[in-house]
Amino acid sequence: MKPVHPIQIENLNFSYGHIPVLEQANLSIFDKDFVCIVGPNGGGKTTLLKLLLGLLKPQEGTVLVFGEDPEVGRKWMGYLPQYASLDAKFPVTALDVVLMGRLGITRGIGPYRKRDRTAALDMLDRVGMAQLAKRPLAALSGGQRQRVLIARALVSNPKLLLLDEPTSSLDDYVERELYDLLQELNKDMTVVVVTHDISFVSSYVETVVCVNRQVHVHPTSEVDENIIHSMYGEHVHMVRHDQEQQHG
Amino acid sequence: MAEFFQALLQHTFLQHALLGGLLASLACGIVGTYVVTRRITYLAGGIAHCVLGGMGFARYMQVVHGWAFFDPLLGALLAALAAAFIIGWVNIRAKERMDTVISAFWGMGMAIGILFISKTPGYGEDMMSYLFGNILLITPRDLTIIAGLDLFIVAIALLFHKQLVAVCYDEEFARLRGIKASFFYFLLLALTALTVVLLVSIVGIVMVIVLLTLPAAIAGRFCQRMGPMMALAAGLCALLTTSGLALSYTPDLPAGATIIMLVGIVYLITTTLKRN
Repeated sequence: MKPVHPIQIENLNFSYGHIPVLEQANLSIFDKDFVCIVGPNGGGKTTLLKLLLGLLKPQEGTVLVFGEDPEVGRKWMGYLPQYASLDAKFPVTALDVVLMGRLGITRGIGPYRKRDRTAALDMLDRVGMAQLAKRPLAALSGGQRQRVLIARALVSNPKLLLLDEPTSSLDDYVERELYDLLQELNKDMTVVVVTHDISFVSSYVETVVCVNRQVHVHPTSEVDENIIHSMYGEHVHMVRHDQEQQHG
Repeated sequence: MAEFFQALLQHTFLQHALLGGLLASLACGIVGTYVVTRRITYLAGGIAHCVLGGMGFARYMQVVHGWAFFDPLLGALLAALAAAFIIGWVNIRAKERMDTVISAFWGMGMAIGILFISKTPGYGEDMMSYLFGNILLITPRDLTIIAGLDLFIVAIALLFHKQLVAVCYDEEFARLRGIKASFFYFLLLALTALTVVLLVSIVGIVMVIVLLTLPAAIAGRFCQRMGPMMALAAGLCALLTTSGLALSYTPDLPAGATIIMLVGIVYLITTTLKRN
């Protein structure tokens, strides 16, 4: 049997009214790849993401997640939404948030089951948050909250983890810790990060997908000034992250 | 105060008022917590004002066309549910600004009520009790309806609490997990509509939003989970409606307005306290 790609996009076109957002996009993402989807604001990243999540339908072409329509395939997908989209003071604990990832697996009526709680606590442990399971969301730091939300994405045992701007609210140190965690998770699953921030790309990611109306795929080693300039224009400050700096 | 408790033993209308307030408090605490955390206070206000349309229409049909069964409480129930579904549908379908859409329904609901009431003979006192409530006019039949609605709301909230919380916190994520998020959004709006109707009979259309949201908002300052927040909000609602009723009795003040002032003052005091 031919292996099924976690993400397979063929000849995709998408426009809002007369404004084309994605044109003739093709993309195959391989199992256990660590992918970064980058591109300028308005370049079509969010649209691509919504197509992958099954929240938008392609107008032309196909989008397949594990060989299925995204509405079906998304059950193998763990998703971390943008940080700013959620209420940081919502009255729930870290454990309550992670339990939400068991919806669709647990029973439909009544409270969560004991095995949901066990799975949620295991996942909090995996992201290094076991001690803070009973802590209210409002009492967690930005980095801790991201870990809780990653645990929520993981608790359904996904084969693909999709993260939308996971580090936009975090300082450099916490950002690096989070990428270390993602690298660890990448041993077991495909990881796709959507971001406009390309500063860290070289040190962690294997594949870079550039989205600016068109979709181009590069191995990380190929991403140089020329590619970035062609995508973002001339005025980009590049920051090199050397490996030593990670330990500093 | 002592006079109130003495009167309570003698007068069944006071017993009905007290019981009505206590029953409504249960739904108020549960649904108020969802409304406050999902930030649909303004939507709930819109639903409340549409209720006048239903009450006015029902009263008109009763008086002018002799539809005896169609009492204003039934009209309120239908109008509230219809308003919730229409506003919710417009929210999902049309890309209009939500607050503008709600304002349109808010005003039109009231206008429909006023038009029907103005064409109903002897309308003056009806209008006042719809707008400002009259807890002392609660009948045993009202109590049965309030108890029935209460039971329904509590049962739904218990059975689907986890979905409702997930939809309040992150609707998109809930949908991705295979939850029918739109269904639960509409269910939440329907529960809000039913609770609004319960509370309208206590404090009236104009002030209902205070009783729906402030006890939950006060509770939110002291609780870090939805369950305890609901319990505390229900307790506060029961305590404050009872106290308001008792305080209003001796000086013969309107009960609804007294309750609202009490809730508002407690809310304002707690906002000055430090968040824990």
